[in-house]
Amino acid sequence: MGLTRRQGLKAVLGSAVGGAISAALPGTANAQSRAETLRQVMGGTINTLDATTPGATREAFGAGMAIYDRLASFGRKQVDGVWTFDFDTIRGELADKIDRSADGRTFTFHLRQGAVWHDGTPVTAADVKWSLDRAVSAKSLSAAQMGTGSLTKPDQFRIVGDHAVEVTLDKPDRLALANLCTALAPMINSTLAKKNATAEDPWAQAWLKENTAAGGAYMIESHRPGQQTVLKRHDAWKGGADGKVPFFRRVIVQTVPEAATRANLLERGDADLSIDLQASDISALQGRGKIKLVAIPQTNGFTGIVFNTRMAPFDNAKVRQAIAAALPYDDMYKAALFGRGRTLFGADWSEAPSTAFPQKLPLRTDLARAKALLAEAGMANGFSTSFAFAAGAAAAAEPAAALIKEALAKIGVEVAIQKMPDAQMTTMEVERRLPFFIESGTAWLPAPDYFIRTYFSGDQRWNFSGYKNPELDSLVQAARFETDPAKYEAACKRMITIVAQEVPTLMLWQPNQDAVMAPTVDGFTYWFHRQVDYRDLRRA
Amino acid sequence: MAILQSIGRRVGKRFIASLPALLGVVVFTFLLMRVLPGDPATFFASGPNAGQEEIEELRRQLGLDRPIPEQLVRYLYDIATGHLGRSITTGQPVVRDLAERLPASLELSLCGLALALALALPLGIAAALRPGSLIDHGVRFVCTLGVCVPTFVSGLLLIYAFYVLLGVAPDPTGRIDIFAAPPPDITGFLLIDFLLVGDLAGWRAAASQLLLPAITMALFVLAPLARMTRASLMAVLGSDFIRTARSIGMTQWRVVIVYALRNALLPVLTIVGIVFSTMLGANVLVEKVFSWPGIGSYALDALVASDYAPVQGFVLLIAALFVVVNLTIDILYGIADPRVSIE
Repeated sequence: MGLTRRQGLKAVLGSAVGGAISAALPGTANAQSRAETLRQVMGGTINTLDATTPGATREAFGAGMAIYDRLASFGRKQVDGVWTFDFDTIRGELADKIDRSADGRTFTFHLRQGAVWHDGTPVTAADVKWSLDRAVSAKSLSAAQMGTGSLTKPDQFRIVGDHAVEVTLDKPDRLALANLCTALAPMINSTLAKKNATAEDPWAQAWLKENTAAGGAYMIESHRPGQQTVLKRHDAWKGGADGKVPFFRRVIVQTVPEAATRANLLERGDADLSIDLQASDISALQGRGKIKLVAIPQTNGFTGIVFNTRMAPFDNAKVRQAIAAALPYDDMYKAALFGRGRTLFGADWSEAPSTAFPQKLPLRTDLARAKALLAEAGMANGFSTSFAFAAGAAAAAEPAAALIKEALAKIGVEVAIQKMPDAQMTTMEVERRLPFFIESGTAWLPAPDYFIRTYFSGDQRWNFSGYKNPELDSLVQAARFETDPAKYEAACKRMITIVAQEVPTLMLWQPNQDAVMAPTVDGFTYWFHRQVDYRDLRRA
Repeated sequence: MAILQSIGRRVGKRFIASLPALLGVVVFTFLLMRVLPGDPATFFASGPNAGQEEIEELRRQLGLDRPIPEQLVRYLYDIATGHLGRSITTGQPVVRDLAERLPASLELSLCGLALALALALPLGIAAALRPGSLIDHGVRFVCTLGVCVPTFVSGLLLIYAFYVLLGVAPDPTGRIDIFAAPPPDITGFLLIDFLLVGDLAGWRAAASQLLLPAITMALFVLAPLARMTRASLMAVLGSDFIRTARSIGMTQWRVVIVYALRNALLPVLTIVGIVFSTMLGANVLVEKVFSWPGIGSYALDALVASDYAPVQGFVLLIAALFVVVNLTIDILYGIADPRVSIE
């Protein structure tokens, strides 16, 4: 949004008036507003105000969470002294009561009384119905996401009163409700959006990229993509866990491309928060003791070494297992992450002990076994291959790649390392032309069956290894509708065991989300979308 | 009047002559972007459940599902009607992005160039007057240092010294303090806009924000300017007319500044043109370090993401700027040395 001349003049007048006031009350007014302003610096860009836009950046999801409300929200819990989102507790956000039928096929959402949009008009059931219809009908990111919760067509959503909407499922999908908590199920002011819809664009997707029709905790004050976005608090917002408005009146989200500059800003106390600093800067900042570091393992994500199971020689499970037995996991973890995360290797089991996923897998270094497996695969003399990583992930991937090359040389496998521009890497991955590479992933919904369905089955791009296993495929399809907890648990354990035995991807570790903030900032929470939720934060 | 007419004629001719070159640049960049490995649709289709369908949809929205010749014709038509497509990285039309960012880059480059000239000319003159002396060696040392230290290193060093340690510089992000109100958008050049609305405090703030990045850029281009001034002035100082001027007892100052320098300026002007064009495109690193919202960092981000439209728009803009800069330099030639007239 560019500033027009008129807006600019207003701003100048405003600042002149503001200046006069603060001159009259020396210091207090400015100090007060700075304390109630949060300034986040980040490397990325909010490229759309509608998180459902195809091509939306991760930062756009974070902004969407603050600007829009959803019907429901995950809770948050404190684990080891840090806050993370709690996938297992779901509370109402725009709805204040959610009824679930006994067969698990019908949800009734009772909307919060007195909830209003940013323009002050009341939220109605018709708005919610329109928003849900949009999520499943418009050509956007939402449809695919909602589909994972069996929400696929508009007739599943019915208005059952001024303030109540009913959602019906064909089968009792375990993830239907969780999907309505994600950034891709925003509730939109339909009256406003419809005014800006056109015949070719009935869901106002073009307009909503640069404008908002929302009712969330924050509204847009100004938006300059690639530079900065300023949010101001929606004082009539009631969707919080405690019904209170968030602490910060104003949030400035600024794009500062250079990581070292972001670190400098935090050190000087001019910026309040950054979640994308370099590991080396973080330890230096910590050493000087001027900032607070909140390090939270990204529990719904992983970094892994991927084998293309549709390409020789990695279509042979024995070859994959041989490589799995040859890698120096501990050294890689230390060299790549400096130990900043949680490991997923080094377990000792043959049947999965729990349904948690990702969990520690039985990956350990055993060169003799590696050589034996390679011989069994008929490749006793080794082979040569290439190992790729994206330039954007080089900080962690480069040292790991060097160790992989060195370790595999010991079993006769010769590795050529390829560092690729990010766009080239994703293209080659999607076309499945890379034999062997390192990748990261996160699942918004950390249910074990959803995780495995996303990363180890089907043809979508997140199945990095192109893995196909009929038993696993039928298990994931059955598990999503399984209502018997014991059966669900057994299915999940079986899936995890298959992944651990067949190793289409070697899951290595979960890097920390290192949130660096001013010592006064409190309440930072790790969310499934890996962005900052400004509603949690306060200044002590 | 006649001079103005001749300049006008020259400008017109130049623009017409540059059209084929611009067209060539457009077509070449267009094809180059499509030859590069890396597909924007797959890169940006990174939604949590991105499948082939989403990739196809993005490709359709970007018009990449059509055959390349058709895409090219559509693109040329768009350019002719003043559209450059939409950036996926920022989600904005490229024309709007460039229009918003070009003044930032121009302001930075012009200030950097002015600073560099203000330093380079005296240094070059001093070195030329006493070749082989301590001053000459000192100038050579400073210039070599400026060229050797990459801009992102000198930029980070300046930030560390003046912002982190001394705390005298404002926070090195963007063109204006983040909490301050921007001036009305009249020309896009903050220094000019603040003056136009008479906001002197704002002007001072914007200038102090500009100082560190401008110094960083000036350091980098100091060497070619100072070295060229020195070399060209030395050649002129050895010529006959200078000997004559000296022999008739003109003051040293008059000889050097009025006669020698003016004659030595032509090669310096050429270098100024080249340096300025390079600064505009190649100041990416400075823009990145100082979060300067300019066109260089914009184009680099787009390139990394294989975002076609902004890269093509950027190259076209830079090509057009080259034409303008070259033209300006040619006109300046005529002013510096009336014997030169480039038709």
